Amino acid sequence: MENIVTCRELTKTFGKGELAVQALRDVDLDVLPGDFATLAGPSGSGKTTLLNMIGALDQPTGGSVVIDGAALSGLSNAALSELRLSKIGFVFQSFNLIPVFSAQENIEFILELQGRDRSERRDLARQALDNVGLAGMEHRRPSALSGGQQQRVAVARALISKPAIVLADEPTANLDSRTAADLMALMYRLNQEHGITFVIGTHDPRVMKHTKRHIELLDGRIKSDTRQ
Amino acid sequence: MMETLRTFAPLAWRNLWRNPRRTLITLIVVSVGLWSILFFNSFMNAWMQASKVATLDLLIGRGQIHATGYLDDPSIDTLMPPPDGALEAALNAPEITNWTTRLQLPGVVLSEYKTLPVTIMGVDPMAERVVSTLPGKVVEGRYLRDAADDGVILGLNLAERLKTGLGRRVILMSQSIDGSLAERSFNVVGLFDADKPTEDFFAFTGRETAQAFVGLNREIAQIVFDVPDTTDLDGVVASLQLAAPELDVRSWRELSLFLATNEKFMGGFIFVWLGVVFSLMAIGIINTQLMAVFERMQEFGLLRALGMKPRLVLLMVTLESAMLIGIGVALGAVLAAATIWSFADGVDLSAFAEALEMFQGGQVLYPEYHPGAFAFFAAIIWALGSLVALWPARRASKSSPVEAMRRAT
Repeated sequence: MENIVTCRELTKTFGKGELAVQALRDVDLDVLPGDFATLAGPSGSGKTTLLNMIGALDQPTGGSVVIDGAALSGLSNAALSELRLSKIGFVFQSFNLIPVFSAQENIEFILELQGRDRSERRDLARQALDNVGLAGMEHRRPSALSGGQQQRVAVARALISKPAIVLADEPTANLDSRTAADLMALMYRLNQEHGITFVIGTHDPRVMKHTKRHIELLDGRIKSDTRQ
Repeated sequence: MMETLRTFAPLAWRNLWRNPRRTLITLIVVSVGLWSILFFNSFMNAWMQASKVATLDLLIGRGQIHATGYLDDPSIDTLMPPPDGALEAALNAPEITNWTTRLQLPGVVLSEYKTLPVTIMGVDPMAERVVSTLPGKVVEGRYLRDAADDGVILGLNLAERLKTGLGRRVILMSQSIDGSLAERSFNVVGLFDADKPTEDFFAFTGRETAQAFVGLNREIAQIVFDVPDTTDLDGVVASLQLAAPELDVRSWRELSLFLATNEKFMGGFIFVWLGVVFSLMAIGIINTQLMAVFERMQEFGLLRALGMKPRLVLLMVTLESAMLIGIGVALGAVLAAATIWSFADGVDLSAFAEALEMFQGGQVLYPEYHPGAFAFFAAIIWALGSLVALWPARRASKSSPVEAMRRAT
């Protein structure tokens, strides 16, 4: 089975000279299709940096990252944008929906960037909202949705392009316990039913409870990588 | 591309209203700026037109014909015969509305108290009434009756300086055709009220009287002709020149350099005004758009993170600016049209009559709506405004997705 993500001897250093901070040190990581993994660790352990590398948002100082067969090194900004658009879905801690768009338009927007036609966009967006339990809320703007509902829209947006992997950075941090549990249950169901690969950056034990693989980082290195 | 615009246009429109106050400020800046340019342009054109018409209609006409060399040495030795043959036919062409002949002589006028230089103008009063507005400016006494009228018309100011008046006699002196000094007593039959230079330097009498005064038979100094403003004046001048190649045919632009220069200056001045106003507008546009962009840097980073290419971010922000400036331009144009329409009955500047006399303009100006100027200036402001807004848009397109992720978490 081919890896969705392959990181080899990945290093990332911020700053230079005496002020240099090594955020990642020779990280080797394989993410397999269908993984439902948490990337955990204390603040400063490097989990956000690693998520940025896997998400093609940042370039490593050393080593290599391959996403769904595409090596990131040497890609232009436009090519990295294209890669993110087609292969990676993002879910953020603070939802980050476009405030002037409705729930449906937020999802359609990704499809528009992919060049899909209008009727296809509309059908797929409605279907995606239905899939995350938000049928009937297509025309609500983010400000008219609860935090949990907004995060569901964000999940639907992340999934709409059928990405190879969904990266979620602290997706439950702004949600109450019940909503967080609902969200994790939703992501778990999507993983189970559709085989979608999730890597979730978190230090919330309630999140880790739902996942099948735990990767723990400490001081820029993988301390442990366990599967249940 | 059209599909992209269809997606981004509603997004741009909604983004504009995320901060209504800032949007309204930009709209006010753009619309008031364009309004000032359009109204100022219309006002200046009206002023120029009023000044031109007042000056040309008084004595100059739209063009004149002289004997070659007369304009360099306007003496009795450089006169010409009255028009006939080809020239008369050309003057009677339909594009020329009116024409008349004048004898113009340098001379002096004497009263009991003073001697002053003057230009003696022998005119044909019947033809003069349709070519010149001067007959209508007689405020005391009467205008000349015919070409043989031996009365003289003086300006109010000249009469005051000469300490003479209606019904009194003055002596006109000039060089006669044989080189001797011609002098004759004339009865002041009318006083006219015009601009000071005309009042001070012209004395009008009948053309035949003036010709007899200096011993001429039928010779004249000038032919003055009028054409409608819509007529190609240069074409008319060329056709007259063709009909009388030995004569010197000139349009008012060559005869009144002040007026011609004034017209050019006004045309240039509106662009100076455009530059000043646009500089102020550009500062406002860049300032507000930069604020709008900086406030949304995280959002732009997010869009980049989601896979939006930098050029699409640039397009989106530029579209917002273009839309905003476009609305401002439309509002400014409507506002300017409404202002011009509200002055359809004219702008009465009679309170500044003395100051305006210097510019030889009318006291009531009539600003006009010029669709061409509206389209031109609106397009310029829209295009330049959108151009300067590219700077904030470029900043937006360079937003970092990593920064967005960092701020978002």
